[in-house]
Amino acid sequence: MSGSFRKHDQASKLRAACAWIVGGIYFAPVFWIILTAFKTRADALAIPPKLFFSPTLDNFHAVFFNVSSTGDVTGTGVWLYFANSAFIAITSVLLALVIGTLAAYAFSRYPLKGNDTYLFVILTTRMLPPIVVIIPIFLMFRVTGLSGSYLGIILLYTGFNLPFSIWMMKSFFDDLNPEVEDSARMDGSGDWTVLGRIALPQVLAGLAATAVFALILTWNEFIFALLLTGTETRTVPVAIASTIGGEIGVHWGKLSAMVSLFLIPVFIVTFALQNQLLRGVTFGTVRK
Amino acid sequence: MVMQTSVLPPAFTEKADARGLLQWINAPERRGPLLVAPALATLFLINILPLLWSFGLSFFNYRANRQALPRFKGLENYADLLTDDRVWERFVTTGLIVSSSVALQLMIGFGLALLFAKNFPMRRLVLMLVLTPMMLSFVSVAIFFKLFYDPTLGILSWFVSLFTGESFALLSTPQGAILGIVVADAWMWSPFVMLLVLAGLVSVPGYLYEAAEIDRASAWTRFRTITFPYVKSLLLLALLFRTIETFKTFDLVFLITEGGPGSSTETIAIYAYRLGFQFFRTSEASALAYMILFVVIVLTSIYLYVVKRRNAAEEV
Amino acid sequence: MSILTLEGLSKNFGSFAAVKDVSMAVQPDEVLCLLGPSGCGKTTTLRMIAGLESATRGSVAFGDQEVTGLPARQRDVAMAFQFYALYPDLTVAENLVYPLKAEKATADECAQRLNRISDILQLGTILHRHPHQLSEGEKQRVAVGRCVIRAPNAFLFDEPLSRLDAKLRDEMRGSIRKILATLDKPTVIVTHDQLEAMTMGDRIAVMREGKVEQIGRPQDVFDRPCNTFVAGFIGTPQMNLLEGQCKAVSETEVILELGGEALVLPGNRFAELTENGEKITLAFRPRAVSPGHAADVIFENAKVVLTENMGAETLVHAEWNDLPIRMLAQGNCRDVGTCLDLGVSVDALTLFNRVGLRLALKSDGGRH
Repeated sequence: MSGSFRKHDQASKLRAACAWIVGGIYFAPVFWIILTAFKTRADALAIPPKLFFSPTLDNFHAVFFNVSSTGDVTGTGVWLYFANSAFIAITSVLLALVIGTLAAYAFSRYPLKGNDTYLFVILTTRMLPPIVVIIPIFLMFRVTGLSGSYLGIILLYTGFNLPFSIWMMKSFFDDLNPEVEDSARMDGSGDWTVLGRIALPQVLAGLAATAVFALILTWNEFIFALLLTGTETRTVPVAIASTIGGEIGVHWGKLSAMVSLFLIPVFIVTFALQNQLLRGVTFGTVRK
Repeated sequence: MVMQTSVLPPAFTEKADARGLLQWINAPERRGPLLVAPALATLFLINILPLLWSFGLSFFNYRANRQALPRFKGLENYADLLTDDRVWERFVTTGLIVSSSVALQLMIGFGLALLFAKNFPMRRLVLMLVLTPMMLSFVSVAIFFKLFYDPTLGILSWFVSLFTGESFALLSTPQGAILGIVVADAWMWSPFVMLLVLAGLVSVPGYLYEAAEIDRASAWTRFRTITFPYVKSLLLLALLFRTIETFKTFDLVFLITEGGPGSSTETIAIYAYRLGFQFFRTSEASALAYMILFVVIVLTSIYLYVVKRRNAAEEV
Repeated sequence: MSILTLEGLSKNFGSFAAVKDVSMAVQPDEVLCLLGPSGCGKTTTLRMIAGLESATRGSVAFGDQEVTGLPARQRDVAMAFQFYALYPDLTVAENLVYPLKAEKATADECAQRLNRISDILQLGTILHRHPHQLSEGEKQRVAVGRCVIRAPNAFLFDEPLSRLDAKLRDEMRGSIRKILATLDKPTVIVTHDQLEAMTMGDRIAVMREGKVEQIGRPQDVFDRPCNTFVAGFIGTPQMNLLEGQCKAVSETEVILELGGEALVLPGNRFAELTENGEKITLAFRPRAVSPGHAADVIFENAKVVLTENMGAETLVHAEWNDLPIRMLAQGNCRDVGTCLDLGVSVDALTLFNRVGLRLALKSDGGRH
């Protein structure tokens, strides 16, 4: 048996080696951007591309501050975009989560007549191509004056996160054993106590996963933000995109620094959510 | 009478009216609707109402940049779009990008899943590296690939120049631009397919492989009779999900090529965007959006049908 | 005809010894049942025979061919799995002939063997179905069929009936017994159910904590359990095991102290005995206990603490000097709280010494 064990060992090593190479390929573009963020302008433009160089933090400084020829330092306003992104994402996700969790619990425990139809329509609104919604939304916002306001984009993102929250949270509620809740009812708890004291605590991890997932989806969102935010409410993706729109000289170092900063929360979240990724990316339709 | 009291709120004539209404709302038989109501109201306001609005618009000749009163055109917009060669061209472009990208994602994703199906040291960490792309923003991915494909400082151009001595602009030719987009999309989303297939692979009970070992089945037979059956429904889900998502792709293409060169990478979603926001042919854009919506609804129904069948099969 | 031989077979999982030094031989026409509580190492032993688990020490051989180092596919053994392990995408018929591919059987032969097996197991009507369309009992029959359709070196069954309900289990026990009788290869069945082991096995190997405690024909194991563990494990209701002390031993008398009272047994019954003052366990089956004074050993004034009506019989739990005694009584149950005298014939008594080993009887005839 020891012979075949050794063979098994070799196969495992080969597998690990292949996996590392593949992992390297998948991470290379991210790695390259991060590398570029630490390069001087000259290093970033060097041909052939430089793998080794003396790193600099100038690009990160340049993201937030303009230094004029006379040495005056002024803010670029980029911190506002980061603040906007965070504020808009957090507010809309919280709203969607509260409303969505209640609905998800109902869809899971008190099926309505036509429950599946409701759920289908809800999922469809999430599967919609943004372009379908954006035309009328754009017109509506123009009429109501919501265009370019925090309220407008937060409302929109709430609607955008709601179907996701409902499907995700329903999948977590469906996983629970309803006998626990029945038992609490037998012990005299009302429906609201059962929801708040029995059901919710059991899905706290799911709630957190849903929240963080929705945060990232919102943080990353581009097209709604492009069309519906104004100069004051602009989010980071739009700010990044606007710097590559022009044909002339992109400052890759500075851009890379901004992208790198933008990626930090995404990395943290991907790492934290590893076990819930499958459920998250399929809106709770595939659990295992 | 009994029916009435349970369906209608009591009349507001007595002192305890407010509390009566609260009790009526809080009645156990109304628990489901009560909990769902805020969500449905929000969705109606932010998703359904706009959809109805744009559905209405699609029958007029409304232009968002004009004050003129719109004129009812009936199905003319739809008829015009369906007979417009440019629209069909965009559909073909979209179809080409969707089919090649999804096919590539499925193949690579399946291979990745097989690679990561068995344990090895630091598997979780390496898996993280592979899973990162799909969590990224389209904007970041577009930046990566714009830099990668850049004719003057991109690595691709530098690499090609080692052989040809000239810089290389992948995105300058129609075929190259499509290829560039397909590669970026496949890079971003093949981990998604991997994640689903991996779920199928780990759900195969180990004793089935042991039984096959006892029954002396060949590696291919083992794959065909054990592995594939457990993976196929998830593979189908991945196919549908990715088709829906790629079909409506806007961000990635818009940011990498802006639909160019010419209109060679202009997908149907980008075309609808241009109609609506650059040419201000709002009604036509709405009609086109509805055609996209139709395709997405069909695909979503199939997707949910497969999800349901899979869940039912799992419970047996 | 090849004998299955295990020699000093052991398995360690890390520092945990799951199987310790198991040796046995199974004849070609014999069915051996590995019986024991869960976690006793019986399944691990079976998997080492199959080649699904490597042996830490010891060997497995079919006839004179040692297979210890070979993987499962090279051992040519057939096995029915506890969870059936039916291939989900194949029909019942395809599942059944699946292992014949490796035997390079011709299509004719496959069809012939398929017919034979489906007749015996009554699978004719479900041959075209898929596993998910089968009932639990049907799945079990298919799993057994896929095992016995082969002509391997040995047949292995892992808890073949554990997932069936009681009625189905009774039916299947009979039909499996019939099939086993037609097999002419060593057969090993793992079970935790003593009734299954008693009825299906030609011999039983009782295992505990990785070791084989006793191996023998079912009746022998039942009649002469080699230690207190086997005595307590085999037989329902459980054998009475009363711990006491040996007070005096002579040719004619053995005096025990049980629960503070002296109990006199005829000494000429025992071939070996322990020394004075040593701990000793007196054992007898509940069925051997009867109420009244017409017996060799009397437990006077035992108090009934619980009765379990089992239909034709009643299991009476009594307490005598704080020692529990179970009696299987015919007919009516006794009222809880009443006192009665319990008698046991001396022929039904067995003694175990201070480490729990059985003391030989003269009637054993040197077989022990």
